[in-house]
Order: sequence, then structure tokens, then C-alpha cells
Amino acid sequence: MSSLFFSVITQSMTFLPLALGISISYTILRATDMTLDGSFVLGAAIFARLTTLGVPPLLSAACALIAGMLAGMMVSTIQRGGKVDPLLAGILATFILTSGNLVIMGMPNINLLSQTTLFSSAFAKSEFTGWILVSCCSLICCGISLFLISSRLGLLLRALGDNPSLLQRLGKNIEAYRMTGFALTNALAAASGCITAQTVGYADIGMGLGMTLTGIGAIILGQQLVRLAIKKSGARILIEFSACLIGVLFYFFAINCLLRFDVNPIYLKMILGLVLIFFLRAAVTRKLA
Amino acid sequence: MITLKNISFKVPENDNIILSNIDYHIKPHDFVIVLGSNGSGKSSLLKLLDRRYQLTSGEIAVDKKSIARYSNNEFSKTIVTLTQNCHESLFTSLTLFENYLLTKQKHENHLFSLATKKEKTHFAIYLKNFNAKLSDKIDIVVDKLSGGEKQALALSLAVLYPPKILLLDEHTSALDPKSAQQIMELTHQVVSKSNMTCLLTTHDLNIAKSYGNRILALKNGQVHQKIEAPEKDQLTTQALLAACY
Repeated sequence: MSSLFFSVITQSMTFLPLALGISISYTILRATDMTLDGSFVLGAAIFARLTTLGVPPLLSAACALIAGMLAGMMVSTIQRGGKVDPLLAGILATFILTSGNLVIMGMPNINLLSQTTLFSSAFAKSEFTGWILVSCCSLICCGISLFLISSRLGLLLRALGDNPSLLQRLGKNIEAYRMTGFALTNALAAASGCITAQTVGYADIGMGLGMTLTGIGAIILGQQLVRLAIKKSGARILIEFSACLIGVLFYFFAINCLLRFDVNPIYLKMILGLVLIFFLRAAVTRKLA
Repeated sequence: MITLKNISFKVPENDNIILSNIDYHIKPHDFVIVLGSNGSGKSSLLKLLDRRYQLTSGEIAVDKKSIARYSNNEFSKTIVTLTQNCHESLFTSLTLFENYLLTKQKHENHLFSLATKKEKTHFAIYLKNFNAKLSDKIDIVVDKLSGGEKQALALSLAVLYPPKILLLDEHTSALDPKSAQQIMELTHQVVSKSNMTCLLTTHDLNIAKSYGNRILALKNGQVHQKIEAPEKDQLTTQALLAACY
């Protein structure tokens, strides 16, 4: 049982920055940014490539985050002024990133097991110490992002998601805020990819496939569970982060349980999809009541 | 203050003429009531002043400077518009206090600061002058307010930093008569107190009679009637109807 909880928590910690990025994009900017799939791989690819070239791990991780920000700025530039539909812009950016990531990696897979990473010395001491360091890194990324979305910048991003034309009439440059928002969410996705590559020991071109949709599913589950527990409004940022964390924990708990019950992995996403439909319908029924 | 120099406006998609050759001058602190039947071009005139629509020809100048030459930020401090649709003037999924903080952002640029208790108290006191009930609801999402409350909030935020010009596009038309009366009184108070220049479009002749010092009546996109202060005060509702429609 303890090994089940251990895997749930460790998997959740590597996925958490990406889930927070998806949550910011989905609930604050109100855009389904499909680029996050590509940015997740981008973070892993940049880190793996630079590390194998002998760049210090900390610098490689910083470059991975910056690359994620640039990917976010790219998708914002593609959809600038509403000229390209946001969903389509995200898909196009992911399309571009698929090639870009292959160019960066030079091959579909880079092995990191023999490389020095941010966590290798901690994992050498003990697995527990390694995962404590991974969790700290993940929570620091989330903490910085939560500070940003609690500040006036976060409020301006919420305003952009709510009523962009009013924000423009308040004299604000909405394209600059859109770019900032996407840079933040994609940097979080890249951070998640960078952490994942170091914990699994490789970067793979296909590791981001379906991550955004999985994240949205986890967040919706989390939101429903949090709303069942907390009725009153207020402390919105705490509620949003709790929804994100609970959703991710629930998702990995469900996956691990199903695997332990010897459910064929082929059926996993189908079962989780059905659970999601149930939660979404329950939410709509509760709203109507 | 505001000069409309031979302005015309056509709908770009179908070349439908909405306004043609309008010349009008508005002095500082004027309160102009714009009247006209549906489709006469009242709302289009306000949207041209607010830069939501682009002029086909002519020029609109505020303080002798074409509105096209104002920067976004400068313009947002000069002209503020309220319409009957509160969703255009408020961030409805955010709380009242967050709407206040965003309005303050017009004059501030503190991107990384957090909201303080002092700001919240300040806003509650400010809001009390507009609607006593609203000051107890500052942490509630705007969507949960009634129509009258939303319009009072929108008005309070519009004049938080009084603009030079306030444009009111039938801002009471979606309200019940009692709320409409209250909002109109409130509007009159804030406009007089802040010495703003104001343009108000309405179909309500009682409002046209009771408020403002000038009337501009439009018909088929052209100036049909201009009525100034002493004459306006003497007109009956019937005479106003006959003169303006």
C-alpha cells in the first residue's frame, strides 16, 4: 500500500507544474493551449541535449524554462489579434514544436541515466532524498507561479480571460498580457518536462502526447471534488491550486489502482474518460439544481 | 472640448450610411442629451467618440487633438463609456474589489504588488456613496449582482478617476423604473460634482427634459434639431416629441 502512495505522490509531483500551467491557461486565460504538449517535450529535450553536451544541469534547466517561455510567446504571436483561432494556434505550435524538438534532440530518444542531473546526487543517497528534492523543485515552480497569479499581473490575466475588449479600453496592451500568460504556462510545462526527463532517465519525442487533455481532465475532476468540499467563495487561488493538486493526485491514484488490479493499460484512458464524463454531468446537474 | 467636424460613418460591410456630415461642438462641462428614433445613429455616434467604430470621413477632436492621435492609455483616461449592457463595462466573473483594482490599474503599473486591506477599506467607503448595499458585497462576483447594482458599480468605477468625458449609451434602459430613476439621479450627481462633459443617449423624454443642458436630435443619420439651455427648460414633453422625432 505504501508503495502505491509513493508512486502516486512522485508521479503527481513531476506532473504538478504542467497541471498548474494547464489550469492557468484553462481557468484564468480561458484558452485551451494545446502547445503545452509540445512545451513539455521541449523542456525535456533542451535539458537532455544540453546535459549530454556537458552543460551544467542548472544552466540546462534554466535554458529549458526559457525555451518554454519562447514557445508560449510563439503561440501568442500566431493567434495575435484573433487572426488564428486559439485552439488551432496551439495545434499549429505543437506541430512546429514536434519538428523543433527532433532537431534539438537529434534523435527520438536521449538517455540520461549516465548523466549528472539536478537530482542524481540526491537519488544516489537514497530514493526518498531524491524525491524530496524533486518535490521541492516542483513546488518552488508552482509557488513562484502562484505568487504571480496572486499579484496584479494575475488579476490582469484573469481580466484578459474575462473581457479582453474592456481590458483594452482600460488602456492595457492585451497582446503583451496574452504573451505573458502563455509564456508562464509554457514555462511551467517545460519545467515539468525537464523534471520528468531527470526522474525517468530519458527524454523521448513522444512523451508529451495527450498530456494537455489528461491535465484538463485531472483539473476538472479536482474542481468538482474541491467544490463538493468547499461551498463558500473566496480564497480563489488556494481553491484553484487545491483543485489542481487533488485532481492530479486522484488521476495518478486511479491509474495506479487500475494497474494494480491488472486492468489492461489499453483501457486506462477509456475508463478515465468515462469517469470524467460522469463528473462533468454531475457538475451540470448540480448547477441546474 | 469636443468638436465633430463634418463626420460621416458608413458600415464597411454594406456601405449603409449611418451618419452623414455632422458638425457639432460641445463645450467643457456640457451635458448633452442625444435623442432620435431607432436607427437614427445615436449609438453609432457614441461608438465613434469611443473609437469602437472608425470614421468614414471627417474628424472628431477632443481639446483640439484628433481622438485618433490619443494613445490607448491617454484615451482611457479621457473618455469612459457606460452602456445598457453591464457586461461591456465590468469584468463579470471577477469580484467587485477586483474590478476596482483593475480600474486603478489605469493609473498605476504595479504588476507584482498584492491587494492590501487598506485598499479594500478604501473601496468599501467609496462604494458606500453610490450604493450602501454594495459596500457589503465587495468580495462577491459581479455576476451575482442585480442589474441596478451592476449599473451603480459600473458608474462608480467609471468615475473613480473622473474622465474628461463620460458617454452614456441608454445606460438605464435595461433597468426597472425605480432603479433607472436612482441611477439617473446618481449619474446627475457625479457628473455635476466632477465637472465632467457628458453625452447621454436615451429614448426617455422625461430624462431628456429633466437632465442636461443641451439636446442634439438625430434623424436618418443627420442633425435634425439642436436645442440649447434656456429653450430646453421651457419645452414640454409633447413639444420635445414634436421637435425631435
